[in-house]
Amino acid sequence: MFELVATAESVKQAEQLVDAGIDKLYIGEDDFGLRLPASFTTEEIAEITEIAHNKGKKVCVAVNAIMHNDRIKTVIPYLKELEKITVDEITVGDPGVIHLMKKNDIKLSYIYDAQTMVTSANQINFWVKRGAKGAVLAREIPYEELEKMAKQVTIPLEILVYGATCIHQSLRPLVENYVNFTEQKTKTEKERGLFLSEKKDPDTHYSVYEDQNGTHIFATDDVNLLPYLEKLVEVGLTTWKLDGVFTRGDDFVKIAHIFAQAKQAFKEKCWSEELMNELQEKLLSLHPKERTLDAGFFTMDSSDVK
Amino acid sequence: MRTITKKPEVLAPAGTLGKLKTAIRYGADAVYIGGNAFSLRRRAGNFTIDEMKEGIAFAKEHNAKIYVAANMVTHENDAKGAGEFFRSVRDIGIDAVIVSDPALIEICATEAEGLPIHLSTQASATNYETLNFWKEEGLERVVLAREVGMDEIKEIRRKTDVELEVFIHGAMCISYSGRCVLSNHMSMRDANRGGCSQSCRWKYDLFEVDGENDRQSLLGGEPTEDFSMSAVDMSMIHHIPDLVEAGVESLKIEGRMKSIHYVSTVSNVYREAIDTYCKDPDNYKFNPAWEEELWKVAQRELATGFYYGTPDENQQLFGKRRKIPVYRFIGQVLDYDEETGIATIEQRNNFGIGDEVEFYGPGFTHHYQKVEQMWDEKGEPIDRAPHPLMKFKMKVDAPVQPYDMMRKKK
Repeated sequence: MFELVATAESVKQAEQLVDAGIDKLYIGEDDFGLRLPASFTTEEIAEITEIAHNKGKKVCVAVNAIMHNDRIKTVIPYLKELEKITVDEITVGDPGVIHLMKKNDIKLSYIYDAQTMVTSANQINFWVKRGAKGAVLAREIPYEELEKMAKQVTIPLEILVYGATCIHQSLRPLVENYVNFTEQKTKTEKERGLFLSEKKDPDTHYSVYEDQNGTHIFATDDVNLLPYLEKLVEVGLTTWKLDGVFTRGDDFVKIAHIFAQAKQAFKEKCWSEELMNELQEKLLSLHPKERTLDAGFFTMDSSDVK
Repeated sequence: MRTITKKPEVLAPAGTLGKLKTAIRYGADAVYIGGNAFSLRRRAGNFTIDEMKEGIAFAKEHNAKIYVAANMVTHENDAKGAGEFFRSVRDIGIDAVIVSDPALIEICATEAEGLPIHLSTQASATNYETLNFWKEEGLERVVLAREVGMDEIKEIRRKTDVELEVFIHGAMCISYSGRCVLSNHMSMRDANRGGCSQSCRWKYDLFEVDGENDRQSLLGGEPTEDFSMSAVDMSMIHHIPDLVEAGVESLKIEGRMKSIHYVSTVSNVYREAIDTYCKDPDNYKFNPAWEEELWKVAQRELATGFYYGTPDENQQLFGKRRKIPVYRFIGQVLDYDEETGIATIEQRNNFGIGDEVEFYGPGFTHHYQKVEQMWDEKGEPIDRAPHPLMKFKMKVDAPVQPYDMMRKKK
């Protein structure tokens, strides 16, 4: 079964994404979810859920933050609210949330999402035994490993096919500390568009921003697996995520539509190189000019990574 | 007079068998080591099963414990042989394994029943419900994330009864441990499988994009200071009462890659400070000599991490670095003759007559003296001890013991 998952930055965009052919919207609030394009109130989540459900689509809410005591206290009321709203799923990365759901009889389905820490089939099956209904794969997994993993896992494995890759999360305000030291002032939130570059490799471009979960740093290249979708389909990895944290507005909706067309072609068994090239060209014209794309670890050999 | 009988354990790093013995002699209640597989410090000297056996025999004699770090985050096939590995460390008498990967936790729990499991700091455990989760999974102890503050630790202690371990000294990841793959993306070395290239300590420029889509340095022109994510090191020596009163079971010192000089010095200091506090907490006085001692093996500035608030720019390595005097480890005492006041010493670094040197030993013993008389093994007077590991005799001003160390300011 194919499933296209996409982040949404507004109620309006959520609706557009559903119309563009997205099956599941991925949204949330920054206090509980990590690196979302927008932080939504529970009212907004309810509104988006209603829109999605009316069109037969799903909503998954991000509850994948690393939680400290203060936040773990507020997570149960939040989850109860989400249950009332009848969201379809949540992502979870902190085992404390899993523990609390069981204790409080919260019936929400959860997808295990501990970001960099989800790298093998056995890990995922550990969480399956503890109730996970899906898992989000780390970005650092070469295809030859994905192939092996897919064979050993029965729940859907969500793989990023388009968007930015976070490579570092610190609880320290790293940008603020730097500008304080150099006696500057700047805003540090994601809209500010700050990025880092290695001294010894000026072509690198690591987006960086801060929020209540700390400082987030992203890889130079955003992921684009459009040219490799066939290989994913071959091994049964057909839950595809699109992350719009750095691709905004209509362009992201159009890119979502590109993947929806691809999905449709696979369903109808008419995926072709020609179509792929056509869609790829369109995608490249929509992707933000200042950001580069590649396939990340997907095209690497396991032995490339030491 | 109030005394504290439930002392927290001093847990020291041991990259080699020699360091293991040193740490225990210098007061560590427990040491953690790496096996030949599944450990996150590929370049630290890791132990074979035979070396572990020897370590265990030594630790038992001294009533100390040994934990084995198996804290890598496995990819497909990496976990091969893990069951056998856990069974063999259990069967030779290792006290616990330190694990972060749930796949390895499961293998250990099902295939090496009875071997206690500690959750590694790599798993970023930051709240009491997470600890309750792992407790129900049968884990004995959780090493808290370094981002957890003192007040949070106290609350965690009240709300869970799984054992708590916290880092109190050494180098720190600037990220949530486990949630950083800078090294993977920048140098194709997997930080979570022992390959970390410490990309966080590199130099970077910070840019913004202007209206024309061109990059502009945020600080304009040539910034005077590069962007870096390099953290200073941690030392909690000023806060021993807080740590003991918070009720944590284990106080961990970072550094499986560090030297015998470092391991002996740091273990010695924390042993002494904790014993001093627990003996008479109400009349406890901080001894400045403890801190001085820690500076002798420090590589970076020292601070308290997240214990007392979010670390600001002063806890990162910006600007001019503090000048830290370097001390060299120059010898280890092999023997001492009380009647003549002459010690037999094995050399570690070149020194000679006229040098001001320091002797230190377990139990926080110290003496300083000038080197005045030295003899080689045949009893011939010598001026210097120039050869690595050469044995020689020298006159000492105060009694010393085997395994006491000698150091000298560079």
